[in-house]
Amino acid sequence: MYNQSCSVEVFADRNSMYKHSQNNINKSGEKTSPISVILVSSGSRGNKLLFRYPFQRVAECPSSLATKQRSPYALNTTGDVLEDQDGDSRELSPLTDEQLVAGFSDIILATILATKSDMCGKKFELKIDNVRFVGHPTLLQHPHTIQVSKTDPSPKRETPTMILFSVVFALRANADPSVISCMHNLSRRIAIALQHEERRCQYLTREAKLMLAVQDEVTTLTETDGSPQSPFRQILPKCKLARDLKEAYDSLCTTGVVRVHINNWLEVSFCLPHKIHRVGGNHIPLEALERSLKAIRPYHALLLLDSEKALLAQLPLDCSPALVRLIKTCSAVKNLQQLAQDADLALLQIFQIAAHLVYWGKAIIVYPLCENNVYMLSPHANISLYSLLAEQFAQQFPGHELPSMLAKFSLPVSLAEFRNPLDAPVQEAQLIQMVVWMLQHRLLIQLHTYACLLVPPGEEEPGLREEEFPLTARVGGRSLSTPSALSFGSPTSSDDMTLTSPSMENSSAELMPGGDSPLNKRMTETLLASLTEQERQVILSIPAAQNPEDLRMFARLLHYFRGHHHLEEIMYNENMRRSHLKTLFDKFRSVLVVTNHEDPVISLFQSPLE
Amino acid sequence: MKMTSRIECIFFSEFHPTLGPKITYQVPEDYISRELFDTVQVYIITKPELQNKLITVTAMEKKLIGCPVCIEHKKYSRNALLFNLGLVCDAQTKTCALEPIVKKLSAYLTTLELESGFISNEESKQKLQPIMSTLLEELNATGACTLPIDESNTIHLKLIEQRRDPLIVQEYDVPVFTQCKDYFIKSQWDLTTQQILAYIDGFRHIQKISAEADVELNLVRIAVQNLLYYGVVTLVSIFQYSNVYCTTPKVQSLIDDKTLQEECLSYVTKQGQKRACLRDVFQLYCGLTPGTTVRDLCSRYSQQLQKVDERRLIQFGLMKALIRRLQKYPVKVIRDERSRPPRLYTGCHSYDEICCKTGMSYRELDERLENDPNIIVCWK
Repeated sequence: MYNQSCSVEVFADRNSMYKHSQNNINKSGEKTSPISVILVSSGSRGNKLLFRYPFQRVAECPSSLATKQRSPYALNTTGDVLEDQDGDSRELSPLTDEQLVAGFSDIILATILATKSDMCGKKFELKIDNVRFVGHPTLLQHPHTIQVSKTDPSPKRETPTMILFSVVFALRANADPSVISCMHNLSRRIAIALQHEERRCQYLTREAKLMLAVQDEVTTLTETDGSPQSPFRQILPKCKLARDLKEAYDSLCTTGVVRVHINNWLEVSFCLPHKIHRVGGNHIPLEALERSLKAIRPYHALLLLDSEKALLAQLPLDCSPALVRLIKTCSAVKNLQQLAQDADLALLQIFQIAAHLVYWGKAIIVYPLCENNVYMLSPHANISLYSLLAEQFAQQFPGHELPSMLAKFSLPVSLAEFRNPLDAPVQEAQLIQMVVWMLQHRLLIQLHTYACLLVPPGEEEPGLREEEFPLTARVGGRSLSTPSALSFGSPTSSDDMTLTSPSMENSSAELMPGGDSPLNKRMTETLLASLTEQERQVILSIPAAQNPEDLRMFARLLHYFRGHHHLEEIMYNENMRRSHLKTLFDKFRSVLVVTNHEDPVISLFQSPLE
Repeated sequence: MKMTSRIECIFFSEFHPTLGPKITYQVPEDYISRELFDTVQVYIITKPELQNKLITVTAMEKKLIGCPVCIEHKKYSRNALLFNLGLVCDAQTKTCALEPIVKKLSAYLTTLELESGFISNEESKQKLQPIMSTLLEELNATGACTLPIDESNTIHLKLIEQRRDPLIVQEYDVPVFTQCKDYFIKSQWDLTTQQILAYIDGFRHIQKISAEADVELNLVRIAVQNLLYYGVVTLVSIFQYSNVYCTTPKVQSLIDDKTLQEECLSYVTKQGQKRACLRDVFQLYCGLTPGTTVRDLCSRYSQQLQKVDERRLIQFGLMKALIRRLQKYPVKVIRDERSRPPRLYTGCHSYDEICCKTGMSYRELDERLENDPNIIVCWK
């Protein structure tokens, strides 16, 4: 046993390490959460702050602003040391998020956030010290048309006095640019809904009237009573819009998924990928996610993160039937192409829906489960004894312990090896379910085999030649095309997609005549022409190259040997069996260097890039 | 640094007693259009509540950064002097590094005004224009500017690049220089760093450096963290022949990237030997697999290792993330309610960490854990 003092120190250290990692999580949580949501408007009554949430702790009375009298509770936002009457000047703790925005009075916020009309229709971004405001100011109607409606004798419509409005989110100044962009997106979506409802039934004007009326009421009350109250607290029960904004704010701070119904009619839904896509303590950057989704192939599979029932329950009533069909038909063992066939949908559509589900954090992309898949523990896997995962696993699979299961994947193991052939089918099925569970909880990565052509250097100028012109530069990039340009989160998504059936374009296995015909010989020669003389010689001197079939196959697959296409991809594109390919690798092993690692296209779901 | 924070324009705006907010000087001339100023003037010459706050507003594809100043005094018409010296950049520019400069400039001007009425005096105010010109030129060219204003006052400004927060440095981390050690001028660093510099060789871990350099552990950690922040060092793990590594997808970049290749081959070749060839080095990296120790690699690939220093091979691989270390994590599976809960064997602490903290060697720890039926070991 190590001596006591050592263990105490160790214990304290670990606590502080946990605390640190906890702080890190909190810190990043703060960076992705808004500090406040504010609704402002500008019109014939001037600039108004209609609503803000969270409320200030103690609302400043508008009358006291002018006198600059400090209430003992007022928060000092200049960071000066506060001295009370005893001369005690303790240092203020660092400002919390609320204090940052609470320091701005309603009036000043109205002035700076209700912009001029020429800033409307565009992203609005303003940074003041440590706070960043982002919104999308929206014109309700052209200023000059107000004249027209004033003379309009129609009794039905009231004269609108609001010219523009803006839903503004306050964030910490050091928020990630993609977070700012997302908040702007949400502000714009809410603005579109509000603009629509305003045109239809003056919804916004009505709500604004209510809000201002309550504010006036509370102000007069305060002046007579003298006790400070927050008018916004009184607004909440009376205004649906205020409640919607509060809900949006609360959702952004917690789950990152916003669903509000403006005027109980128009749905505004939004997700903050930074909150949703977290693996361990790290979050998957949005650009990496989008890049990944653009690179998925028909041989990948979609793995749902929730049960089918739970997922279907979350969908709105008017959702697309294709989505429902896909969720019902999808499975971890089916690749996207099979899924398209089974669900009777175009592959294109499958890609789009899959990307949508992944973006919303409801599914991840994996390689379809099969016997030969090799899995290993993800470097970011949470293998802590005290983690929530261990508990959940024990509940899901009684009698099994997560740590023991994880230990089995310490060394790469294929599913075939993992299963015991003597097991009853029920136990086998359970083992597969456990692997699926571990994949869903980001505990495993899958390893694939990659091959690279590297010819041993000749006697003259060793190494120089092959280094000067690596194979990658010489062999032109054959585009193994995939539907690309998927758009995320925006209302419009019509991009041109090129879809090819890989087996038709890249494999010519069926079309080529067998045997040693002169056509084949010439094809092989052409394919090998991209190599240097020295490489060609070395390859041709390998015993296996004497077999024209093998040589032809090798030459045809040459462009895959750059280390960027794994075995399964070659199998899919060329319609080849695994055993055939492995044998080929073995025959030409003197010029191929083979290694195993995860597929960088989808590995970010299991272990995000540092 | 210069590319990311290019200043397009410097402007001086003030509240004229009769004309209201206006731009008095701007360099280059007419950069800010009337339209733009009208749109953003409320953020330049602001209400009292926003005084002395750093305000950045984005409009019409431009970003304006300023710090409004208000000096109240009876001598001024309207009893207050309001002005703002700000910078204009393109809307896409990252402007964090410029903020301290704007703040500093506003502080300078405030002081000058309070001391000698620099701004309220029409004559001395004209000096601002050439000052602004010089500032614009020098800050864009070199990122620094030293400018005498009058006989007794000089402005010193420097653009400081913002960097990401560094990781916490643990006792079992090994710092390694990212460039040749001699590249750095020793005397520019603090005393602690100077004392430990000699011990940073890419193989000594923090605890060892602390012991050998006779510097307290936390000081070493902080000093190395500082070096990490400036990109002078990077961290790798302790090297032992019993270590296990595996390749990452980045290993393929050794084939694709010519510069990386060159760097690698010159780094890993043994001293005094002819340069190793790419194939050998790549084969060595690909020979690192889960379950294979460095010792195994040495015996299997002895021919390739004739020209290659395996320790530097591993070091380079880790520095460039071509390979990663597989660490062992012991987990005590609790079978008995009464037994004490594990403190270190929780799956959160690697062998490296446990050995560092307890002073045991790997072998000792192995032996101890092998005999305990309740401990399972995970590699990741």
